[in-house]
Parts: sequence; structure tokens; C-alpha cells
Amino acid sequence: MTNGTNPPHPNRRTAAPQWADRLLTWCCAPHLLEDVQGDLHEVFQKRLTQVGPAKARREFVVAVLYHLTPFFVRRKKTVLRPGQYPSPSSLNPDMLRNYITIALRTLAHNKAYSVINIVGLSIGLAAAMLIILYTKDEVSYDRFHANVPRLYRITSRELSSAGKVENRQGNTGLLQGPKFAASVPEIQSFVRYKEDRHDMKLGTDIVSQTVFVADTSFFSVFTFPLLSGNPRTALQQPHSVVISEEMAMKQFGTIDALGKTISFKLAFGNGEAFEPYTVMGVAQQTPLNSSIRFDVLMPMVVTAQEMTNPENWFNIFENTFVLLTPGANLQAVEAKMNQIYRADAASAIKMMAEKFSFKSKVEYALQPFTAMHLSQDLRADNGLVGGSNPLFSYILTGIALFILLIACINFVNLTVARSLKRAKEIGVRKVVGSGQLQLTVQFLGESFLLCFGAFVLALVLVQLVLPTFNLLANKSLALAYLFDARLVLGYVALFLLTGLLAGFYPALVLSRYNPVQTLYNRVSLSGKNYLQQSLVVVQFALASFLVIATLTIYSQFNYLTTKNLGYDDKDVVSIEKSGLTRREAKLLRDELLKNPNIVGVAPKNGGQWGTVAKVNGGTEINFTYETIDPTYLPLLKIPVRQGRNFSPDFPADSTQSVLVNERFVKQAGWKNPIGQPVDFWYNKGEKYTVVGVVKDHHFNGLSQEIGPQLFTTKPGNQYGKAFIKIRPNTASASLQHIERTFKRLFPINPYAFSFVDEDNLKRYEAEAKWKQIMLFGAILTIFISCIGLFGLATLSAERRTKEIGIRKVLGASVTSIIQLLSSDFLKLVVLSFVVAFPAAWYAMRQWLQNYPYRIDISVWTFVIAALLALLIAFATVSFQSIRTALTNPIRSLRSE
Amino acid sequence: MRRAFLGEFEEIILLVVAACPTEAYGVNVWEDVQQQTGRAITMSAVHTTLYRLEEKGYLSSVLGGATAERGGRRKRFFTLTALGVRALQDIQAVRDRLWHAIPQDKFQLIVG
Repeated sequence: MTNGTNPPHPNRRTAAPQWADRLLTWCCAPHLLEDVQGDLHEVFQKRLTQVGPAKARREFVVAVLYHLTPFFVRRKKTVLRPGQYPSPSSLNPDMLRNYITIALRTLAHNKAYSVINIVGLSIGLAAAMLIILYTKDEVSYDRFHANVPRLYRITSRELSSAGKVENRQGNTGLLQGPKFAASVPEIQSFVRYKEDRHDMKLGTDIVSQTVFVADTSFFSVFTFPLLSGNPRTALQQPHSVVISEEMAMKQFGTIDALGKTISFKLAFGNGEAFEPYTVMGVAQQTPLNSSIRFDVLMPMVVTAQEMTNPENWFNIFENTFVLLTPGANLQAVEAKMNQIYRADAASAIKMMAEKFSFKSKVEYALQPFTAMHLSQDLRADNGLVGGSNPLFSYILTGIALFILLIACINFVNLTVARSLKRAKEIGVRKVVGSGQLQLTVQFLGESFLLCFGAFVLALVLVQLVLPTFNLLANKSLALAYLFDARLVLGYVALFLLTGLLAGFYPALVLSRYNPVQTLYNRVSLSGKNYLQQSLVVVQFALASFLVIATLTIYSQFNYLTTKNLGYDDKDVVSIEKSGLTRREAKLLRDELLKNPNIVGVAPKNGGQWGTVAKVNGGTEINFTYETIDPTYLPLLKIPVRQGRNFSPDFPADSTQSVLVNERFVKQAGWKNPIGQPVDFWYNKGEKYTVVGVVKDHHFNGLSQEIGPQLFTTKPGNQYGKAFIKIRPNTASASLQHIERTFKRLFPINPYAFSFVDEDNLKRYEAEAKWKQIMLFGAILTIFISCIGLFGLATLSAERRTKEIGIRKVLGASVTSIIQLLSSDFLKLVVLSFVVAFPAAWYAMRQWLQNYPYRIDISVWTFVIAALLALLIAFATVSFQSIRTALTNPIRSLRSE
Repeated sequence: MRRAFLGEFEEIILLVVAACPTEAYGVNVWEDVQQQTGRAITMSAVHTTLYRLEEKGYLSSVLGGATAERGGRRKRFFTLTALGVRALQDIQAVRDRLWHAIPQDKFQLIVG
């Protein structure tokens, strides 16, 4: 077409619409595109002169749209004409087979490297999975109740007159639950829950059984399915009991226990008899991640008199849970609760102020049920079990992330290092026509494949070690816990990230290189690799940090368990007998001492009592209140510093004299403690004189500071247990004698004994757990770091084969070559100390602040950690370097 | 040889290509078809038919003759193959036979 008046020129108005043109280019099959597009453009130009640009453009668009039919869009199957060659996609099955073959061959060629790489990553992953399981279990505590978002525990706080919070209290008394529920419409129902111990008949034996007492609404508020029995009525009748499957099996040998009876003796003292309780329900075993775990549950029986006594507002000994109505406003509910408290307890508040000069203001609040387990100031106690420190979970998660990080670093590091050697393969592949996309797919695919293998192995590992781990962590975790949407997502993300990072270098960087470069230059890529070096530094910094932490925790633990407590706990047996009267105590001592193996018997109050008294006329002192017997201090070899011990020679001691410990004296500010009065002002006329000062001793273990302590022999205070000193190495004979005597004297009381030194060790169970966890973490971290270091040393030795050959030919000794190969890595390890030591010192100092009695961080800890790390690193590296150094140079130089 | 089967529109396109005084390609075939039949036809219909005929072996094509207004794109020139020629002749023969078979006065009777 030629038309002089309007020559076609590229102008926006006179050009074909670009978008339509692009659409056509994109949609139309390549073999048709050229002439179709040409035809359309030709027509467009013609129409431009005939009908003007607007119409022509419109027609062009319409014509293009008409061409968007399957006929034009469908790509032609390539029919190869002579001289044309196929360009198969990188996902062609043949190519895939080739990639897999090459991947497997590369793995098989370097078995050590492959094993290190995969095993290292899978160990790291397995550790991380285990720890995630653990923390997830911690977080999932108590969440299985259907009512969870609406479940709260009533708590209270004491405010001083200045409005400062003095004390927080997770427990409540009999009144709070029912009173609040009656007047706050948002409180749908309440449950009071407390723990008791009662004697129970089990066959012919009598055992002391932990029994929980709860309101009737227990089973409607909480989700504890009953295997048999009606959850609404199970706790309605006073003499009913709900037992767990396990208890049913123990008592009756079957879980079909509905309607059967169990004998309990509820009241203390010897006169009461056993009474039958009817099993009204058998409950499924409570889950292990529950704060409420019961074997025996009884209905709570409260007399009307107790409910009307306003003093019970301050009698705090149990947990009260409330279920709010849906959508209730928490603040509003709390405000209403406090209103009711102030109105209802007005007289009691006045009485408390008068009688005990208790002036703090009490405010009630609600704590979410699920927050109890990990709460530090409002703990899950008094019948609630498993309260845990969230710090545990945080530190564990930290360690897990450490290990995972190191494992991933290794994996990436080794894969990248290895891939440098494959630069030649990449060059050849490019020469024979591989595109960059193809190489990317190949190398990424390979690293994903490796990664996948490691993941599968990790799952297998977790499954294998889970039983041991459960034993250690006292949990019942299952792999099924891991199949949670978010966790799975996390793992998939981790998988992708690791695979991507590991495959990134060969897939995206190496594949970009010009083949001529990679083939001709014989891999000049092995220069200083700062990335790899810093990764080694990070790994060893983490490892030496953990080593220092482990060493410190070990020595602190050692200190806690071996430090002199200030009294002699060796060969002391403790037995409990509630309500041990003076007469019974004397009888027990006389009978026990008939056996020459028994050295002494000292009765004491059961549990730990605390109270308050006034000294110096008005100062109040809170102290531990010990009711003892004159033999108590000598038996435990607790020295009396000033004055004298209680003595039968002074019959007035029991009503007039007390002993105090040095801390008490210090707190009271006495110069001359002997003869000072101690005033129990709330009991009229109860006043004592200090007759002796006892040396401070760690009666509460070393994790608590020694507090003021006061000893009395007041006859009104009941004993609850007795310490029996036995001759060394007569444990079994003595215990037999003690048990026989006890059963003869107190046939209806449960008998249980423990050794005082063992009890003292049990106080440090948490520390023992820490110790285990840290050791486990440190070993794993070191192991994984070593794996990484070993891999890198191998690669570096391989890379320098020729150099070492030449050095040897020129006369280098084996030692000098080992030195050459090792020193690089050892330098990095030393560098890692610079990072790790200050951090470890700081962290350990913080941790030790938790203990009033602690070790000093010694320089030796660091020296040992440094030596250990260097030694391990050297051993790891030298294995490879010795092998390389011993190789005959002919072998390394012969081949080109 | 199998009897050729051609649709009406295919036959027209084939005839237009045969009748084209210059080399036949998309644009001039399209214009000719509209001109000869007086029907409005889309370009894509013409293209589709041309390619179909090529696939069936009635037409063959070569690329060539790029011009500026085509943006430098080549045209696809279609020419009849021997098979195409024979197919047209076959159809023509059938038609001729049928035309001859019509009695002389029949059309006059109907048209009146």
C-alpha cells in the first residue's frame, strides 16, 4: 500500500494499540504469529487512511480479539525438519533422570562428606523438633478444656496504704467463689478445688492418699470426660467419690467400678473410723498437660456456719475457678467482685485490722486459667500440679535455635564448598547447551533432595529418641504433636530456606559464570572465603558458650549439693505422723531406743510453720516457727552460739523460753540477745524470753536465703514428724525396726519414711534438670560444629592437595604440613572465644544472681572451655590433615 | 484417492487463492472474499481456513515479502497444490454433471 497523503509513521495515535498487539504476541502460537500479526498491521495501516485512526484502532482490537481462539493459541507440536534440533525443557524426564544420576553419583563419590552433611543437618533438626515438642507441650498446658477462654482463677493482691502491691495470692477461701457467683451476673459458675490427704484402705493396707475436693460443678466447668457415671450428679452426695481409671484398676482391678465403695478416714486423730464412699463416676485419666490431675475426687462439704463467718474471707487455702458468661468484660467483673467484697467483708476487714493490725487493702482479680502453668507470681499450687518456669522453655528454645542454626550453617557451608569443585561440571554442561534455568533447577533440586533426606532422617531420629527424652523431661510427648498447621508451616519454611541457601551458590552464582572461565581457569574460586570463616567462628562461639554454661551450672550444682548446710543430715530418717502428741512422742522414742542401732529421736512440728511476733516493744518480725524438743538441736548437731539449749532441768522452758537463730538476732538488732522478750501479742499474755542463740543453718536449702528462725517447745503446738538418727551403715536393720515399732504403736496411721540427706538433694531437682539439658545442648552443639569443621577441613585439604605435594617434594615435614593445615582453623576457633567469653561471663553472672549462695565464676572455667574447644577442633582437623600430610606426593602430583 | 471434502467457505477461499492475479496472502484473500461474496468476514476466519487448507494439503505456503506497513513482518504466500487443484476440479465436475442433469425448462417453470 502506498499513499502519498498520509505516510505511516510511528505516532501514538496512528500506531496500532500496543496492548492488543502485545496480547496477540503473547497468545498467538509462534509459528503463526509473524504473518498473522503482519496481516493485521497491514490492514490497520490501510484502514488508517480510509476511516481514520480511531476506527482503525477499534477494528484492530476487534480483529485481535477474534484471533484469540484455541486454533491460534494452541502451540504447534514441533515437527522437526532436517537441520532443526529439539530444545527439551529442563524438566524433561530424560534430563531429570540425568540430574538424579549425577546427584547420587556425587553423593556416592564423597561418602564422608555426604554422611556428614545429611547426618549433621538431621541431628540439628531432630534436636530442634524435640525441643519444639517440649515447648509446645508447655504452652498447650490446660488448653484442652472446652471452656478455656472463659475460665479464670480468682486471685488477690494486697496493697499497702500507699497503694503499692505487697503480695499476690493465687489462692482463695471458702467464701470468694459462692459470694461472687451469687452477685456478679457474669460469673456463670464457680468451682472450689483443694488438696487433702486421707487414709484410704487398699485391700488390707492403709495408704495415705492424695484426695482432691471440689464443688459439684467441677465436671461441667472443666472438660474431664467420665467413662461411667453422670457428670452432673457425680459430686452431689456427700459420701460419693469420683476416681480415675488408674485408681479403679488399683482398687478393683477393673474400670467398671460404678457403685462400688472405697473406705476413707477423713478426720485426723485416732478415734475416727473408716467410712465407705460410693464411686459415682470413673474419670478418664487426666492428661499430663493439665494443672488439675486427680486420682480421687470428692465433693466439697461446707457447713452453713462456715459460710456465714465473715472471717473466712481471710482464711485462704484453696483455689477457686470461675466460668464467665460469653463476652463478659473482665474489668467490669473484677470491679463488681471488689464491690461485693468490700460490702460483705466489711466487718471482717475491721476485725483483721484490730486483731492482727492487718492494714493492707485486698483487691481481687481474675487470672486466665491457661496462664497459671507458667506464671511466676501467681503459681499453680495448692493442689494444682506441674507449675513451671517459662525460662525453661525460653532457654530450651534458644538452644534449639542454636543447634538448628549451626546445623543449617554447616549444611549450607559444606554444600557451597563442595559445589566449588563442580564448577567444571557446570562449564561442561553449559558448553553442551545447558541453559541457566536448567542449571538452577538441577542444583536447587539437588540441595532440596538432600534437605528432604535430612528431614526424613530427622523424623526417624525423633521417633527413636522420644521415649528417652520423655523420661528425661518427665513428659509424654508424641510425634503427632508436630502435626500442627503452624508448626508444619514452620518446618516447610525451614526446609525451603535451608534448601535454597544451600543450593543458592551453585544454582545462581556458579551457573552465571562464563563456561570459558570455569573451564579454562581451573577454578580460581578458592580464595579467602570470609563467609565460611565467619560461620566457623559463629559455630565455635556458640559451642564454647554452651561449654562454659555447662561447666558453671555443674559447679553451682556441685556447690549446692555438697556445701555444709550447718547441720548434719547424714543417717537421719524422717517419719511423719500427724498429730503426734507429747505422750506418743515419748512412747515412740522409748520404743525406738530399745534397738542399739537407733542413736536418737527428735520430734518436730510437721511441715513448715511461719508466724509473726513483736520484739523491742513494737517491731514485727516474720520468722519460721519451729516447735521442737530439747534433743532436736544436738541430734542434728546444730551448735548453740550463745546461751543454752532447752533443757529438762528448766521446766519453765516450755512456757517461757525460746531460742532464735543468728539471723533473727541480726534482724531484731540485738546486741545482747539473751534475755530479750519476744511478744506474740495476738495471743493474750504469750510472751517469751530468748535463752539461746542457734547458729544459722540452711533449713530451707541453699536456693533460699536463711531467714529468721525461732524455736519453741510450747506444749500446745503439735508435733508432726520425728527425726531419727541411726548408726551409720545400719540403714536396713534400723528401718525395719522403725517400721515395726511405728506400725505397732500407730496401726491406723500410714507409714512412710525418707532420709533427710536424700530429701535435701531433691530440692535441687530443677538444677539437676538444667544440668542435663545444658550438657545435652553442649554436646550436641560441639558435635555438630565438629562435623562442620571436619567437612571444611576435608575440603580445604583436598583443594590444597597439589600445593602439599609440591611442599613435600621441596622438603616440608609432616609436622609442618599438619601445622599449615590446622592453624587456619585453630585461629578461627580462638577468634570465636573473643565473642563467646564475654557473653558467657555475662549470662552466667545473671543466672547465678538467682542464688543467694553461689560460686564465683572462675577463670578456670574459661581456660578449660578454651582448651576443650581447641583440643576438639584440633582433633577434628588433624584427622584429615595428617592423612593429607602422609600422602605420597607422587599421587597428588601425577594426575592433572 | 479419497474423495475430497470441502466446506463451502473452504471452497471459496481455495477459489479465491486460485483466482488471485498476484501472490495470495491473508490480506488480499480476505479483501477478495468480501468483495466476491459481499459478506462481512473476519480476518481470523480467513486465517483459520487458510491454515486448515494447508494442513489438509490443498495449499502450500512460503514466507516472504516483508513491507514497512507490516512492521517488517513477512507475508505467508499461499499457492494451490496439485491436490488442491484436483479437489477444485472434482467439485467442478460434480457440479457440471448436476447442472447438465437439470431439465431445460425446469428453472423457467419455477421462476416463472
